[in-house]
Amino acid sequence: MTKAGKTALIIGGGVAGMEAALRIGQAGFDCVLAEKEEVLGGTVLQLSSSFPRWENPLELVEERISQLKLCGRIKIMTATSAIESRVSKHGYSVTLQSRNGETTNLDIDAVVLATGFGMMDVSVYGEYGYGIYPEVVNSLEFEARIKAWSAGLGKVPEGVAFFKCVGSRDRSKGYPYCSKICCMYTAKQAGLVKDMFPYTKVYVFYMDYRAAGKCYEEFVREVIEKKHVTYVRGRPAKILPEGGKLLVRAEDTLIGIPIEVSVDIVVLASAAVPRRETGPLAEMFGAKADKYGFLERQRFSLAKASDRVFFAGGCGFPLETLAAQQEGASAAAEVIELFAHE
Amino acid sequence: MSVAYFPGCSLHGVSREYDRTTRLVCERLGVRLEEVYDWNCCGATAGHSMDHELTMGLNGRNLAQVSLMNLDSVMTPCPGCFNRLKNARVRIEATAARSRKKEQSMKDRPAKLPKVMNLLQFLVEEIGLQQIAKPVTVPLEGLKLAAYYGCLNTRPRKIAEFDDSEQPVSMDRILDTLGAETVSWSHKTECCGGPFTASEVGIVLDLGHQVLEAARYATADAIVVACPMCQLNLDSRQGVDGNALPFRPGLPVIYLTQLIALAYGFPVRRTGLRRLLVEPLSLLRRKGLA
Amino acid sequence: MDADTTYRPLFLNHIDDSLRTEIKRNCSVDVELCMECGKCSGGCPNGHVFDYTPRKIVQLVKLGDRQTLMTMDALWICLSCQACVDRCPSGIDIPAILDYMREKACRTGAKTSRPLVRLFHELVLSSIRGHGRVSELDVALKYNWKAGQPFKDARLGMRMLFKGKFRFYGNGVKQRAEVRRLFEKSVIAKDVS
Repeated sequence: MTKAGKTALIIGGGVAGMEAALRIGQAGFDCVLAEKEEVLGGTVLQLSSSFPRWENPLELVEERISQLKLCGRIKIMTATSAIESRVSKHGYSVTLQSRNGETTNLDIDAVVLATGFGMMDVSVYGEYGYGIYPEVVNSLEFEARIKAWSAGLGKVPEGVAFFKCVGSRDRSKGYPYCSKICCMYTAKQAGLVKDMFPYTKVYVFYMDYRAAGKCYEEFVREVIEKKHVTYVRGRPAKILPEGGKLLVRAEDTLIGIPIEVSVDIVVLASAAVPRRETGPLAEMFGAKADKYGFLERQRFSLAKASDRVFFAGGCGFPLETLAAQQEGASAAAEVIELFAHE
Repeated sequence: MSVAYFPGCSLHGVSREYDRTTRLVCERLGVRLEEVYDWNCCGATAGHSMDHELTMGLNGRNLAQVSLMNLDSVMTPCPGCFNRLKNARVRIEATAARSRKKEQSMKDRPAKLPKVMNLLQFLVEEIGLQQIAKPVTVPLEGLKLAAYYGCLNTRPRKIAEFDDSEQPVSMDRILDTLGAETVSWSHKTECCGGPFTASEVGIVLDLGHQVLEAARYATADAIVVACPMCQLNLDSRQGVDGNALPFRPGLPVIYLTQLIALAYGFPVRRTGLRRLLVEPLSLLRRKGLA
Repeated sequence: MDADTTYRPLFLNHIDDSLRTEIKRNCSVDVELCMECGKCSGGCPNGHVFDYTPRKIVQLVKLGDRQTLMTMDALWICLSCQACVDRCPSGIDIPAILDYMREKACRTGAKTSRPLVRLFHELVLSSIRGHGRVSELDVALKYNWKAGQPFKDARLGMRMLFKGKFRFYGNGVKQRAEVRRLFEKSVIAKDVS
């Protein structure tokens, strides 16, 4: 232990957690980066491309992992979760457990929670038949399909429909909030399908499209104008299996008539929700969460949830890769400030 | 077990076989059905469509009649009646709650409103599948059935408070318990054209056609219903000539309770199966059930 | 929308929220919750027949267009299947709005595009007023007669007759007066026979 013996524990090895660990380590403090899965990278590992630059997200993850390894102060613990925590004299005494049952006790001076977001279980939408009709999938599952198609596996679809706002902006069966990134990743996915299969009909059913970011609007317009994805304004009402395909019923609200379209696959852009680990961890460290389970920051702070506890990334609210990294860096800055002044 | 029983006008009229088999089935299950004393029409579609206050009044009276019978719940096989009675109950309760709040007195509590259930709900929630299975002597094996729920058994969610309104399973489970095979199909809760059976036949033909074809596509031998309106719409116009969308003949539309009665070993003449316009007996004979 | 001798676009300055608040008060429906997504219209079984789809109906309330709401065709052929309200992310009760506007249309004497639908409803209510319950055969026969289609569905009627589906003798409510009293305030259910 160096630099007055301060250690930070980062829980979650996705892009937000990796960024936080890297910044804290590079500032000269010790870090332990605990990741539940066998590998670092989090949700980004599942993605087949990125917006707005159409870059391969795995390259970012690889870059960060090599930087983390180069920095001598970061201990990476994969297949590891935090199971218990007690307040101690200088911070927390945390028990970590790895998949093979081994436990480790750590005395740490600050925690950064970076457990990310997951997808809502949209089987509550019986009208869409998620979990009943095999060709109805959520966006993360569809990323895997795209990867398979890129590798030459899987049947070429004749028609794909994307439904946005499934679970988001829904006071009735879902959540009232907007999940922020779905308009962009749906445009990305739709564009990728068209790139791979120019003759496949691709439809995006939307209420709005939200492209608030640098090069975002241009990205969506490119998908519509250059890649020829058809955008239909109307939230679909129901999917009916018909003739081995899926019949989508919606209203084209811009002309005001009910429409039907037959496709092979329907992709549901499902609401982003905090991962289940977040709740118990928040309780463990006295962090406040909102009614949906997303962590709340204290007033005037960027990343502070409670005393010596910070958070970054999807566990606070859904966000894009770059923003998650930025939040990781912000959390790191607050940790560094805390350590430097003690 | 005793429950107040609200048949509704259809069950005393065109859909008498539904009423009779409901009674037979309940009798076999040890349920005492007490017909709501001097019940009046719930108003049907005309009531809620034309006069809200009147409909509330009609159903307020019905609920009061149940309370007078000293029974705490009422069951009706007609989803239309279920919707009106339940709606009235919800509204009366809400109004009473508001006025209680205003007066801040708990002393003069109004008489507790009876619980309102539809037939499927009563069978699944009050009786339970295990009890329903017990009297089965003729399992409906080999029969492939499309369970058709219609609109008002499960919708709107806030009023019906029963099963799922998009992928319901209650009727399917009952039919499975009877030994039949239920098909997975797309039109479980798609409207049949309901109230327009006389005044807008075109709508019934359009919507009913879709339901029948969907059931056929799913390879069902017959459609099972729990609503007198659905039964009438789907049964009465099969094989009708001269329509844009043909109502192809030959798909029987059978009341759930008729099938339960059959499974309980009641003879065909008591099940009213002969009264159905698309005759189901040749199908049932083929399967060795009649 | 007010008829004008020269065509003018709809002037939003003239639109107040009186209809919106009226619907909120009487139907417990807050149309401001509507996010105009069209899920209601997409699932409406009759949406392709309506002159105004369900989403447009809510928009008419937002625009304060009482006139169109009371005279439109959709008003009379809504099935009240409840699919729209059940799926609406904001829970907007469109059938309740239509019930309210239909009742208002009747009370103010607005013309209906579907007089036969209205006729059928009135005959049903008349039957309830007379007997306390609906006599299906009675209503069906009267309907055919008044609709000027005395032989409509005659074959179907005969088939049903031979299957013993019709009930001929009285099946009315004993305390008929109690039921009749409920009709006193009703402007709609005038005796049609």
